[in-house]
Amino acid sequence: MTALLDPVTVPIGYVGTPRLLRMPDLFEFDAHLAAHGALPALDRPALLSLLDAVHLTGRGGAGFPLAAKLRALRSGPEPVVVINGAEGEPASAKDRALLGWVPHLVLDGAQLLATAVGARRCLVAISDPALAASLRQVLACRPEFQLAGSHRTGRSVTGRSVTGRSVAGRSAAGRSAAGGFELHAVPDRFVAGEARALIAALNGGPAAPPGRRVLPTDRGIGGQPTLLCNAETLAQLAVLARLGPAAFGSVGTPTEPGGTLLTVSGAVRSPGVLEVPLGTRLGTVAAAVGALPSQAVVIGGYHGGWLAPNPELELSRAGLTAAGGTLGAGVLIFVGEQTCPLAELARVAGWLAGQSVRQCGPCTFGLPALAGELTRLAAGRGEAGNAARIAGLLPGRGACAHPDGASRFVRSGLAALAGEVHLHRAYGSCRRPDLGHLATARRVWS
Amino acid sequence: MSKQRPERLEIDWTRCDGHGLCAALLPEAIRLDDWGYPIIDQRRVAAEPVAAARRVVACCPALALRLERTG
Repeated sequence: MTALLDPVTVPIGYVGTPRLLRMPDLFEFDAHLAAHGALPALDRPALLSLLDAVHLTGRGGAGFPLAAKLRALRSGPEPVVVINGAEGEPASAKDRALLGWVPHLVLDGAQLLATAVGARRCLVAISDPALAASLRQVLACRPEFQLAGSHRTGRSVTGRSVTGRSVAGRSAAGRSAAGGFELHAVPDRFVAGEARALIAALNGGPAAPPGRRVLPTDRGIGGQPTLLCNAETLAQLAVLARLGPAAFGSVGTPTEPGGTLLTVSGAVRSPGVLEVPLGTRLGTVAAAVGALPSQAVVIGGYHGGWLAPNPELELSRAGLTAAGGTLGAGVLIFVGEQTCPLAELARVAGWLAGQSVRQCGPCTFGLPALAGELTRLAAGRGEAGNAARIAGLLPGRGACAHPDGASRFVRSGLAALAGEVHLHRAYGSCRRPDLGHLATARRVWS
Repeated sequence: MSKQRPERLEIDWTRCDGHGLCAALLPEAIRLDDWGYPIIDQRRVAAEPVAAARRVVACCPALALRLERTG
């Protein structure tokens, strides 16, 4: 059983008492239920009051309150729930850790939403083929679930995988009131994990966000109202529903109760996915993973920002906002002292340019120009002002937030590395190689 | 058709090909970036007559522009 998991497993750890990752390898449904207890069935008002009580926010990066998403869901005949497991950030592994180690917790969260809103279809969107293979087996062994007020109908749709096929306009067959999961393969691309790009891919089109703003809660899968959630958000929901708001909030900060997953990499002895209470200090995490002396940290991934490695930094949305950063999807990278940070920045900027789906001019032309300027800076040529000016031309000028996020990442890097820019100008280089602390290829974790 | 609420000139970035007609027609509010794509100053759009903005929308060869009421 564990052999099957190997391709997708990620080292996991925790600070404090783990909730999501407390019992790894809960592959069997019965073992999962024995460890976590039965899943309560909540109606929509009960679910909303639960979410409001702890302000549960989305863990895909934007931090949007799940209760607000649920309230925004248009009423329609066939609502759909989508699990976003298409983790496009090369330095993020938390969603594949959850779906690889404790898949039923994620599926539980989706089932809670589906039951509350009467959705018969839960789509599991995955880009990693090995993860898809393991989830196919998980889904085949998981029983169907009943929607509120329905009777058991003998027909199960659970575990049917329709991998890679368009689902637009495919209405659920018959009058079955059972809900089921469907596995779907989506392209492995940074932008593909963006909510509207993912919906477009699941609807059979290219994985690119539409030019006009259409909310999935209004028109998503097959034009139906759709609740699309990050895998971790759903796992947190599954834990919240069992613990209740008081116990859930026994860790975390007063405004951000509970925990979060971090993917920690770079100049550390033990990279991996770490479950920590929200508000944990950076120094605590650094000690847990054996971080080496670092010149900076990148938090929130490649749409996030560079910050000084202050051990007192509070790892919460509020704490990072106050420091001028963002928690994003929980990517935390230690940029060690032995690597050239400007070369790392330039390489990531080039990677971000390559991830553009090339729909929008400012992103198509601006990101490569920006990467070029940064490469010149790393070689001791060019002007930091040029790079900053180009980065300033990007925000708000695309169909999705890719140019905005890339601009934020580069601008925060230039601010954090101002001294390095001067050093490179004066000496042509810092005589350190690019050690690749900021991963731009999918990390092999096992 | 209230005149009090200002209108925003919205771009569908997936359609815009950088023809640049908008900047030629409304240089008071629209300039072009390094690659020929429009940079719109919404406050200046609001200060111009609505008819001028409508003309810009109508003349875009890529049909990438539209006027939207704010608020």
